[in-house]
Amino acid sequence: MHTDAPVRKAGGRLSREDQRRLGDILQRVYDEVVRQGVPDRFKDLLNELNGGPDSDQAGQKPAAQKAGPAGDEEREADRLVEAKSPESSQHKGSN
Amino acid sequence: MTMRPSVRDAMLAAVPSLRAFAISLCGNVDRADDLVQETLLRAMANIDSFQPGTNMSAWLFTILRNLFRSEYRKRRREVEDADGSYAESLKSHPEQQSRVEFEEFRVALAKLPPDQREALILVGASGFSYEEAAAICECAVGTIKSRVNRARTRLSDLLSIDGADDFGPDHATRAILSAGGRG
Repeated sequence: MHTDAPVRKAGGRLSREDQRRLGDILQRVYDEVVRQGVPDRFKDLLNELNGGPDSDQAGQKPAAQKAGPAGDEEREADRLVEAKSPESSQHKGSN
Repeated sequence: MTMRPSVRDAMLAAVPSLRAFAISLCGNVDRADDLVQETLLRAMANIDSFQPGTNMSAWLFTILRNLFRSEYRKRRREVEDADGSYAESLKSHPEQQSRVEFEEFRVALAKLPPDQREALILVGASGFSYEEAAAICECAVGTIKSRVNRARTRLSDLLSIDGADDFGPDHATRAILSAGGRG
Protein backbone atom coordinates (compact mmCIF):
# COMPACT_ATOMS: atom_id res chain seq x y z
CA MET A 1 0.00 0.00 0.00
CA HIS A 2 2.73 2.34 0.88
CA THR A 3 4.10 4.30 -1.97
CA ASP A 4 7.55 3.55 -3.09
CA ALA A 5 7.80 6.84 -4.87
CA PRO A 6 11.29 7.88 -5.78
CA VAL A 7 13.19 9.22 -2.86
CA ARG A 8 14.86 12.47 -3.49
CA LYS A 9 18.56 12.23 -3.38
CA ALA A 10 20.09 15.60 -3.86
CA GLY A 11 22.41 15.36 -6.78
CA GLY A 12 22.43 11.60 -6.56
CA ARG A 13 21.50 9.09 -9.17
CA LEU A 14 18.15 7.46 -9.24
CA SER A 15 17.70 3.80 -8.68
CA ARG A 16 17.04 1.66 -11.70
CA GLU A 17 13.51 1.23 -10.54
CA ASP A 18 12.90 4.97 -10.44
CA GLN A 19 14.50 5.41 -13.81
CA ARG A 20 12.17 2.82 -15.22
CA ARG A 21 9.15 4.53 -13.78
CA LEU A 22 10.09 7.89 -15.15
CA GLY A 23 10.96 6.35 -18.47
CA ASP A 24 7.63 4.65 -18.62
CA ILE A 25 5.65 7.85 -18.13
CA LEU A 26 7.85 9.70 -20.56
CA GLN A 27 7.28 7.03 -23.16
CA ARG A 28 3.54 7.16 -22.66
CA VAL A 29 3.40 10.92 -22.96
CA TYR A 30 5.47 10.76 -26.11
CA ASP A 31 3.56 7.89 -27.62
CA GLU A 32 0.35 9.74 -27.13
CA VAL A 33 1.52 12.11 -29.83
CA VAL A 34 3.07 9.42 -31.98
CA ARG A 35 -0.23 7.58 -32.08
CA GLN A 36 -1.81 10.55 -33.80
CA GLY A 37 0.04 9.41 -36.88
CA VAL A 38 0.80 11.65 -39.83
CA PRO A 39 -1.51 14.65 -40.16
CA ASP A 40 -2.79 15.24 -43.66
CA ARG A 41 -0.87 18.44 -44.07
CA PHE A 42 2.39 16.50 -44.04
CA LYS A 43 1.16 13.79 -46.36
CA ASP A 44 0.02 16.47 -48.78
CA LEU A 45 3.25 18.34 -48.45
CA LEU A 46 5.41 15.34 -49.22
CA ASN A 47 3.19 14.24 -52.06
CA GLU A 48 3.31 17.66 -53.61
CA LEU A 49 7.02 17.91 -53.21
CA ASN A 50 7.41 14.54 -54.75
CA GLY A 51 4.82 14.88 -57.45
CA GLY A 52 6.47 17.28 -59.86
CA PRO A 53 7.48 15.84 -63.22
CA ASP A 54 10.74 17.72 -63.15
CA SER A 55 12.80 19.09 -60.37
CA ASP A 56 12.12 22.77 -60.94
CA GLN A 57 8.41 22.26 -60.75
CA ALA A 58 8.76 20.27 -57.60
CA GLY A 59 10.43 23.16 -55.90
CA GLN A 60 7.51 25.44 -56.53
CA LYS A 61 4.73 23.24 -55.48
CA PRO A 62 4.76 23.61 -51.73
CA ALA A 63 4.33 27.30 -52.21
CA ALA A 64 1.14 26.86 -54.10
CA GLN A 65 -0.68 26.09 -50.91
CA LYS A 66 0.06 29.43 -49.35
CA ALA A 67 -0.22 31.59 -52.42
CA GLY A 68 -2.40 31.49 -55.46
CA PRO A 69 -1.15 30.27 -58.79
CA ALA A 70 -0.28 33.72 -60.05
CA GLY A 71 3.07 33.83 -61.75
CA ASP A 72 4.71 36.39 -59.51
CA GLU A 73 3.69 34.68 -56.40
CA GLU A 74 5.01 31.41 -57.61
CA ARG A 75 8.38 32.89 -58.23
CA GLU A 76 8.37 34.49 -54.88
CA ALA A 77 7.39 31.25 -53.29
CA ASP A 78 10.24 29.56 -55.04
CA ARG A 79 12.61 31.98 -53.40
CA LEU A 80 10.97 31.23 -50.12
CA VAL A 81 11.80 27.60 -50.42
CA GLU A 82 15.34 28.36 -51.35
CA ALA A 83 15.65 30.78 -48.51
CA LYS A 84 14.94 27.94 -46.18
CA SER A 85 18.16 26.19 -46.97
CA PRO A 86 20.95 28.45 -45.80
CA GLU A 87 22.39 25.77 -43.58
CA SER A 88 22.11 23.36 -46.44
CA SER A 89 24.52 20.53 -46.57
CA GLN A 90 26.15 20.97 -43.25
CA HIS A 91 23.70 19.04 -41.17
CA LYS A 92 25.24 15.69 -41.23
CA GLY A 93 28.87 16.51 -41.27
CA SER A 94 28.94 16.45 -37.53
CA ASN A 95 29.39 12.86 -36.57
CA MET B 1 14.87 17.11 -56.42
CA THR B 2 12.83 14.15 -57.39
CA MET B 3 12.49 11.96 -54.40
CA ARG B 4 12.51 8.22 -54.47
CA PRO B 5 9.39 6.74 -52.93
CA SER B 6 11.51 5.01 -50.34
CA VAL B 7 12.89 8.36 -49.25
CA ARG B 8 9.47 9.90 -49.05
CA ASP B 9 8.19 6.92 -47.11
CA ALA B 10 11.07 7.18 -44.68
CA MET B 11 10.22 10.83 -44.14
CA LEU B 12 6.57 10.07 -43.63
CA ALA B 13 7.44 7.33 -41.20
CA ALA B 14 9.50 9.76 -39.18
CA VAL B 15 6.76 12.40 -38.92
CA PRO B 16 4.88 11.11 -35.86
CA SER B 17 8.03 10.91 -33.83
CA LEU B 18 9.28 14.23 -35.16
CA ARG B 19 6.06 15.82 -34.02
CA ALA B 20 6.34 14.32 -30.58
CA PHE B 21 9.88 15.60 -30.33
CA ALA B 22 8.89 19.03 -31.61
CA ILE B 23 6.01 19.30 -29.17
CA SER B 24 8.26 18.38 -26.31
CA LEU B 25 10.73 21.03 -27.40
CA CYS B 26 8.41 23.94 -27.94
CA GLY B 27 5.42 22.95 -25.89
CA ASN B 28 2.88 24.09 -28.41
CA VAL B 29 1.31 21.85 -31.01
CA ASP B 30 0.80 24.50 -33.66
CA ARG B 31 4.30 25.77 -33.46
CA ALA B 32 5.57 22.23 -33.35
CA ASP B 33 3.75 21.38 -36.55
CA ASP B 34 5.15 24.45 -38.25
CA LEU B 35 8.55 23.34 -37.13
CA VAL B 36 7.99 19.89 -38.58
CA GLN B 37 6.82 21.40 -41.83
CA GLU B 38 9.86 23.59 -42.06
CA THR B 39 12.03 20.61 -41.28
CA LEU B 40 10.52 18.60 -44.13
CA LEU B 41 10.92 21.48 -46.55
CA ARG B 42 14.50 21.94 -45.60
CA ALA B 43 15.17 18.25 -45.77
CA MET B 44 13.71 18.14 -49.25
CA ALA B 45 15.77 21.09 -50.36
CA ASN B 46 18.87 19.32 -49.11
CA ILE B 47 17.97 15.78 -49.92
CA ASP B 48 21.16 15.40 -51.90
CA SER B 49 23.12 15.66 -48.72
CA PHE B 50 21.28 12.74 -47.21
CA GLN B 51 23.15 9.50 -47.64
CA PRO B 52 20.89 6.59 -48.44
CA GLY B 53 21.29 3.85 -45.95
CA THR B 54 21.95 6.19 -43.07
CA ASN B 55 19.35 7.01 -40.47
CA MET B 56 16.72 9.28 -42.03
CA SER B 57 15.04 9.80 -38.72
CA ALA B 58 18.23 11.01 -37.03
CA TRP B 59 18.91 13.32 -39.95
CA LEU B 60 15.46 14.89 -39.70
CA PHE B 61 15.75 15.22 -35.94
CA THR B 62 19.02 17.05 -36.42
CA ILE B 63 17.46 19.49 -38.84
CA LEU B 64 14.48 20.04 -36.60
CA ARG B 65 16.64 20.62 -33.58
CA ASN B 66 18.77 23.15 -35.43
CA LEU B 67 15.69 24.99 -36.63
CA PHE B 68 14.26 24.99 -33.16
CA ARG B 69 17.43 26.32 -31.63
CA SER B 70 17.70 29.18 -34.05
CA GLU B 71 14.10 30.03 -33.33
CA TYR B 72 14.61 29.48 -29.63
CA ARG B 73 17.34 32.06 -29.48
CA LYS B 74 14.87 34.59 -30.73
CA ARG B 75 12.23 33.57 -28.25
CA ARG B 76 14.36 32.81 -25.29
CA ARG B 77 12.34 34.65 -22.75
CA GLU B 78 9.17 32.99 -23.79
CA VAL B 79 10.55 29.52 -23.37
CA GLU B 80 12.44 30.18 -20.20
CA ASP B 81 9.26 31.11 -18.48
CA ALA B 82 8.95 27.52 -17.46
CA ASP B 83 6.60 28.05 -14.57
CA GLY B 84 4.27 30.23 -16.48
CA SER B 85 3.14 30.39 -20.04
CA TYR B 86 5.20 27.55 -21.38
CA ALA B 87 3.99 25.11 -18.80
CA GLU B 88 0.53 26.44 -19.31
CA SER B 89 0.66 25.88 -23.03
CA LEU B 90 1.63 22.30 -22.41
CA LYS B 91 -1.33 21.80 -20.17
CA SER B 92 -3.96 23.43 -22.17
CA HIS B 93 -3.75 22.05 -25.64
CA PRO B 94 -6.97 20.27 -26.48
CA GLU B 95 -5.33 17.75 -28.80
CA GLN B 96 -3.63 16.13 -25.92
CA GLN B 97 -6.38 14.44 -24.05
CA SER B 98 -4.27 13.78 -21.09
CA ARG B 99 -4.84 12.36 -17.76
CA VAL B 100 -3.96 14.35 -14.72
CA GLU B 101 -0.72 12.54 -14.18
CA PHE B 102 0.34 13.24 -17.72
CA GLU B 103 -0.28 16.91 -17.14
CA GLU B 104 1.81 16.90 -14.03
CA PHE B 105 4.53 15.11 -15.83
CA ARG B 106 4.47 17.52 -18.74
CA VAL B 107 4.65 20.49 -16.47
CA ALA B 108 7.67 18.98 -14.76
CA LEU B 109 9.20 18.18 -18.13
CA ALA B 110 8.71 21.78 -19.21
CA LYS B 111 10.74 22.94 -16.25
CA LEU B 112 13.83 21.07 -17.34
CA PRO B 113 16.58 23.03 -19.03
CA PRO B 114 16.21 22.55 -22.80
CA ASP B 115 19.46 20.64 -23.15
CA GLN B 116 18.41 18.12 -20.57
CA ARG B 117 14.92 17.82 -21.90
CA GLU B 118 15.95 17.08 -25.44
CA ALA B 119 18.56 14.56 -24.33
CA LEU B 120 16.06 12.74 -22.16
CA ILE B 121 13.48 12.63 -24.91
CA LEU B 122 15.82 11.49 -27.63
CA VAL B 123 17.16 8.66 -25.52
CA GLY B 124 14.20 7.91 -23.31
CA ALA B 125 11.33 8.23 -25.76
CA SER B 126 12.45 8.56 -29.36
CA GLY B 127 14.52 5.43 -29.09
CA PHE B 128 17.86 6.82 -30.18
CA SER B 129 21.06 5.41 -28.82
CA TYR B 130 23.32 7.66 -26.79
CA GLU B 131 25.61 7.84 -29.80
CA GLU B 132 22.81 8.89 -32.13
CA ALA B 133 21.54 11.44 -29.65
CA ALA B 134 25.04 12.84 -29.34
CA ALA B 135 25.26 13.20 -33.11
CA ILE B 136 21.87 14.92 -33.22
CA CYS B 137 22.81 17.31 -30.45
CA GLU B 138 26.34 17.77 -31.74
CA CYS B 139 27.98 16.97 -28.47
CA ALA B 140 29.91 14.17 -26.81
CA VAL B 141 28.28 10.91 -25.79
CA GLY B 142 29.30 11.55 -22.19
CA THR B 143 27.53 14.88 -22.29
CA ILE B 144 24.33 13.23 -23.40
CA LYS B 145 24.60 10.65 -20.65
CA SER B 146 25.08 13.26 -17.99
CA ARG B 147 22.24 15.39 -19.32
CA VAL B 148 19.94 12.38 -19.28
CA ASN B 149 20.92 11.57 -15.73
CA ARG B 150 20.43 15.10 -14.56
CA ALA B 151 17.10 15.28 -16.34
CA ARG B 152 15.88 12.16 -14.60
CA THR B 153 17.02 13.32 -11.22
CA ARG B 154 15.47 16.72 -11.71
CA LEU B 155 12.19 15.26 -12.90
CA SER B 156 12.05 12.97 -9.96
CA ASP B 157 12.75 15.91 -7.70
CA LEU B 158 10.04 18.01 -9.23
CA LEU B 159 7.46 15.29 -9.04
CA SER B 160 8.19 14.16 -5.53
CA ILE B 161 8.58 17.71 -4.23
CA ASP B 162 5.09 18.37 -5.45
CA GLY B 163 3.87 15.41 -3.51
CA ALA B 164 5.83 16.22 -0.40
CA ASP B 165 4.34 19.66 -0.07
CA ASP B 166 1.09 18.14 0.82
CA PHE B 167 0.56 14.54 1.65
CA GLY B 168 -3.11 14.75 0.92
CA PRO B 169 -4.46 15.46 -2.52
CA ASP B 170 -1.42 15.20 -4.66
CA HIS B 171 -0.37 11.64 -4.58
CA ALA B 172 -1.46 11.07 -8.15
CA THR B 173 2.08 11.57 -9.23
CA ARG B 174 3.35 9.05 -6.78
CA ALA B 175 0.69 6.69 -7.89
CA ILE B 176 1.84 6.69 -11.44
CA LEU B 177 5.43 6.66 -10.44
CA SER B 178 4.62 3.53 -8.52
CA ALA B 179 2.44 2.03 -11.18
CA GLY B 180 4.87 2.50 -14.02
CA GLY B 181 7.85 0.39 -14.79
CA ARG B 182 6.54 -2.71 -13.20
CA GLY B 183 8.25 -4.59 -15.99
